[in-house]
Amino acid sequence: MTFKGISIVVARCLSSFDLLCRLDRGLPQSNLRLVVDGLVGALAIGVVATTPAAAQEKPSSLGLGIFTFTSGPAAAYGMPGKNAADLMIDEINAKGGIEGVPVSATYVDEAQGAQGVIAEYRRLAGDAKNQVMIAALSSANCLALAPLAEQLEVPTVGWNCDTHQLLMDGKSKYVFRPNGNTVPEFIAYAIYLLERKPDVKTVAIINPDYAFGHDAAKIFTAALKALKPDVEIVAELYPKLGSPNYQTEISRLTTVRPDVVFSNLWGADLENFVRQATPRGLFASSQVVLALGETVLQRVPLPDGVIVGVLGDGWWMSPDAGANPETVKFGGAYKARFGEYPVFPSIKMANTLIYVKAAYKAAMQKNGGKWPTRAELADAMKGSTVATLTGTAQTRADNDGLVDQIVGVTVKTPAQQFPVIGDMVRYKGDSLMPQAGQDPLAWIATLNPEFAKSLPKPGSYK
Amino acid sequence: MRTIVAASAVLILAVLPVAAPWLQFVLTLAIAKGFAALGVAVLLRAGLISIGHAMFFAASAYGVAFLARAGINDLGLLLILSVLAAALLGAIAGLFLVRYRAIFFAMLNLAVSMVFYALCAKLYSVTGGTDGMTVPVPAVFGVVLGEPTFKSVLFYISLALMLLVGLAIQRYLNSPLGHALAAVHSNEIRLEYLGIPVWAVLLVAYVVSAALAGLGGAIAGFAIGRVVPDFAFWTASGHLVLIAVLGGIGGVPGAFIGALFLELLHSVAVTVTDAWNLIVGLTLIVVIMFLPQGFYGLFSRKEASSL
Repeated sequence: MTFKGISIVVARCLSSFDLLCRLDRGLPQSNLRLVVDGLVGALAIGVVATTPAAAQEKPSSLGLGIFTFTSGPAAAYGMPGKNAADLMIDEINAKGGIEGVPVSATYVDEAQGAQGVIAEYRRLAGDAKNQVMIAALSSANCLALAPLAEQLEVPTVGWNCDTHQLLMDGKSKYVFRPNGNTVPEFIAYAIYLLERKPDVKTVAIINPDYAFGHDAAKIFTAALKALKPDVEIVAELYPKLGSPNYQTEISRLTTVRPDVVFSNLWGADLENFVRQATPRGLFASSQVVLALGETVLQRVPLPDGVIVGVLGDGWWMSPDAGANPETVKFGGAYKARFGEYPVFPSIKMANTLIYVKAAYKAAMQKNGGKWPTRAELADAMKGSTVATLTGTAQTRADNDGLVDQIVGVTVKTPAQQFPVIGDMVRYKGDSLMPQAGQDPLAWIATLNPEFAKSLPKPGSYK
Repeated sequence: MRTIVAASAVLILAVLPVAAPWLQFVLTLAIAKGFAALGVAVLLRAGLISIGHAMFFAASAYGVAFLARAGINDLGLLLILSVLAAALLGAIAGLFLVRYRAIFFAMLNLAVSMVFYALCAKLYSVTGGTDGMTVPVPAVFGVVLGEPTFKSVLFYISLALMLLVGLAIQRYLNSPLGHALAAVHSNEIRLEYLGIPVWAVLLVAYVVSAALAGLGGAIAGFAIGRVVPDFAFWTASGHLVLIAVLGGIGGVPGAFIGALFLELLHSVAVTVTDAWNLIVGLTLIVVIMFLPQGFYGLFSRKEASSL
């Protein structure tokens, strides 16, 4: 609506330019008209923008702001999210929408950087129709938007950002993250690795050169050192995000010959790395751990026995997911529409939408069937437990989510043309999370081999 | 006549956020980038293209974040100190950079700024890496404000600064020091023979332009509330050159007109399509082809004919 006003102003300004360019442009009338036009236009926007939407009555449609990467290299990760959102919203609307109100989403491209993302967030938040923001994929953007969400009092659900810094202060009222954070996600790999390969001595790490890669390396290393103090990190490589060529890194890894190579590369980077490392025998000489390996299973031929996982419980083929007819239907519909089965970013997005839907239901139950306000929605999200496509998302008092962690190894199956995950373990969400307010790294340092013994074993999740 | 147009433009800018509150952030950011582009434009007058001014923009924003972490919590003080920090960095870099001309100047600026970028992104324990640092809400002259009020105050302070600093730069460009810049561009040797030290002229210009970029960076840091290394990336520097060229280097308002145009265009384009880069790019091509003197060329040509 506001844009209508703006286009009026732009059009008027353009017509004024025309006046300026004419020969008689020195005349005072034309200047006056420029000023008057501008002011009238500005006021027009004001009238449009400040018209309040009637609260508590069901609106004709519910707006969601969905932030993801739709351009640039990170779209390899962002587009599966957007596809899942498209599909999920269509499914929700086919059933009459959320509590009878059809959903319409506005997508915001995170590739424009924090400045553009903030501007768009403010614009969307200014429209009362947009009650919830699903933001964001990138941790840097989540961190930038979090203070804004608190200030504008808009319930904001992080659908993918993992950084453990996001909700660390425990004061968030409007920022939620119904999926795991980097701490349980990467501890899970350390535990699984040591269960499967107890005699590991040397580990090399190759992660993308930005906060996610460095955080993961820090957490994975700290967990390994706590659980098996004699493990030695023999190489830490941080190739630039979006590198096309990993030959130097692979040379380094093959000469160091570590027992284990750990990586949280993702998207096209991971595909490139796997394609270049396979012929050079890296997968044969070392046990490789690909933390985001599930995203490329359908795209590159991974050899058997590579440790992969989904940073949470969001694998569409897990036993729990297979038992849920909704999930099976979602997987089939996704394949039919986009030509590929969903990957875990898709599931994270779908689960986030389910989480939002559940919040509406809970909020309306609580206030007696009236359409909820933004504050009531945030209230309903607090402390909620929601059944998702692949498990449950439990929201803690600090608004961080508890989800289970699934880790396994690649195995071939006659049922699919691509490798799937086998020999799985499903760690309970709360078992790998520090208490709210606890410093994560200090907590990891307190872990010991007994702790790992108390957890389920590889292959126990069937 | 010219004052009427300028005054009405500023008045419209001041009223717009009252009308559409989300525009306030876009406009604050546009003014911030306008300052930095003005810095680039100052050097462009001497024929020097800097593809590295985002370094000063980022340095000042990081300066604010570090000073705030150190306990300084006053908007005025933070602005002054961070701009001084950017100017100091400009003086150090300028000492050797202003010896170079043309492509060498551009490339060396690029190189130095990318070193700065790499430091910001790699020194995790100091700068927080790619996740960046938070810029807290400071007190304004001792008054502690809530975040929404602060953002409004910041916008109107930026607007006021745009006028004050703009006038000051206008004076500088019309002074002998400023005119010497154009002389460097046309005939540097003659200037030396006239007894004017080219090196000093350029160093002053370089420090002024670094300070301007720093002012922009500090405002942007406050507006966004977070500083990330991307502020210093070379594409950000290229963006500033683009704004300067788009707006036109004929006069001080050019940089701000260019910045406002580009920010608003961006805001409109991203709401229309995922291929927003395409819209922005095409518009830029059209503007550069048909308005070689930038938007400011429209106004200055008008000036000439009304005489």
